[in-house]
Amino acid sequence: MSAPVTVVASWEYRSSVRARWVLTMAAIFGLLCVTVTLLAFRTVRELGLTGIGPASATLVNLGVLLPSLMGLLLGAGSLVGAREQGMLSMMCAQPVRRSSIAFGAFLGLTGSLWTTLGIGYGVALMIMAGVARGSDVPALATLIGATFGVAAASVAIGIGVSSLVSSRVQAVAAGVGLWIVLALGMDLALAALAPTVHLGPVGLLGTILLNPLESGRILALLGTNFEGTALGPFGAYLISGFGTVGSVLLLAADLLAWTVLPLLVARWALPRKDL
Amino acid sequence: MAKGAFLRVERLTKTYRSGWGLNDVSFELPGGTIAALGGPNGSGKSTLLRCLAGLASYRGSAWIDGRKVDASPASRETIGYLPQSVAMPDHATIGEVLDLFADLRGVDRSTIPLPGGFVNDDDVRIGTLSGGQRHRVALAVALLGRPHLLLLDEPVANLDEEGRIAFWSLLRRLRDRDGVTSIVSSPSPSDLRGVADRALFLDDGRLVLEEDLTGPAPLVSEDDPDDLMEARP
Repeated sequence: MSAPVTVVASWEYRSSVRARWVLTMAAIFGLLCVTVTLLAFRTVRELGLTGIGPASATLVNLGVLLPSLMGLLLGAGSLVGAREQGMLSMMCAQPVRRSSIAFGAFLGLTGSLWTTLGIGYGVALMIMAGVARGSDVPALATLIGATFGVAAASVAIGIGVSSLVSSRVQAVAAGVGLWIVLALGMDLALAALAPTVHLGPVGLLGTILLNPLESGRILALLGTNFEGTALGPFGAYLISGFGTVGSVLLLAADLLAWTVLPLLVARWALPRKDL
Repeated sequence: MAKGAFLRVERLTKTYRSGWGLNDVSFELPGGTIAALGGPNGSGKSTLLRCLAGLASYRGSAWIDGRKVDASPASRETIGYLPQSVAMPDHATIGEVLDLFADLRGVDRSTIPLPGGFVNDDDVRIGTLSGGQRHRVALAVALLGRPHLLLLDEPVANLDEEGRIAFWSLLRRLRDRDGVTSIVSSPSPSDLRGVADRALFLDDGRLVLEEDLTGPAPLVSEDDPDDLMEARP
């Protein structure tokens, strides 16, 4: 890692963890984690179940939807916001590559988002600690890993957007629009198309890999249910086709691709932009 | 490159969708020159400085001390740039801002050749500073690493009289002691009276007057510059 990347990452990290709305989101995420965990435990006990697997499964949607929105908004506002302030001009006037600035911003913002998520999950894990068993560790690790992966991919997509748009308003609109498409739109479109278009397991897998939020969600669910039964026929196809480890690796690789590709877009677009 | 030319600009052209940013601008500056860059609003002053700082694409070429200005980081090693307006984050301290840019340049903070007290103490937050004090911090950033070429976009716009005097005195000292070349844009070039050695006037993206202020006659006068001459430093 070159020094300018580290310098920018450190600056972005400090800047974003000090921003009030990031702190507010951290508090909201922590509160939601605690609430969801407590409610899930209550239900789990009422059903006579044990362990934390069922409770952690309830955190999956929370861990996919909120961090992705935060990541998209953080990333989308980053470069274009600095550009509107004039800070990006001053940074790019230094003897550093613009791609280093984009990558540094990604690392710093991802770090701050991971800190936020870490606080939220940390509180939830303290509650779960009393009933957790050794066998629950993989489920929790996969859930947290999937959430962190979705968060990183969302920040990267946001930074890719930020390198292309010309104002912060456009960036926020694009970030929110993308989140709606990824979180809801693709599911709704699939549901609407299902009766008329026969996608089959391979087609379904393709549409899932086109959506990092869906990859993260399925990855997290696989962690709580390694047989994939919670995912129905698709889970069965995934496990039978790729095995448990192969499925986890496939989905993790998809999240990695969703992180790398937008950063390559930023690497291409930012140097071509007039500041 | 002509002997003694530190900065050479050849047919520099920048077009926007709305029209010309810069239109076939050519000039040379010897090392150790302070050039006043004047012209009406929208004449291309900021665009010229941004092109030379490597922040905007253009046609034509620019050479700094024999090295062609391009997108490589090395092109910017000897340049200090101050944009017209900068909004640094309120939560950051002066020390953090200066550290950020010193680290990006790979230089020591002690390289800022500013008189003591020109910038507030390190631990003061940007959010507590006035517009003029923030501008002083941005000026300090531009001076990090002892650049050989300073591109300053309206550097005294937000400074009080004391700050302006200190700044002009500093520019002269950098020129006389270190041979630093500066291009200083200003909507009212008369501010640079007694400071600049050379005047460059832009109008509608074209260089319409280039004048050696140490000599009697304009070097280039493409248009009738009467109206601009009134504002001559």
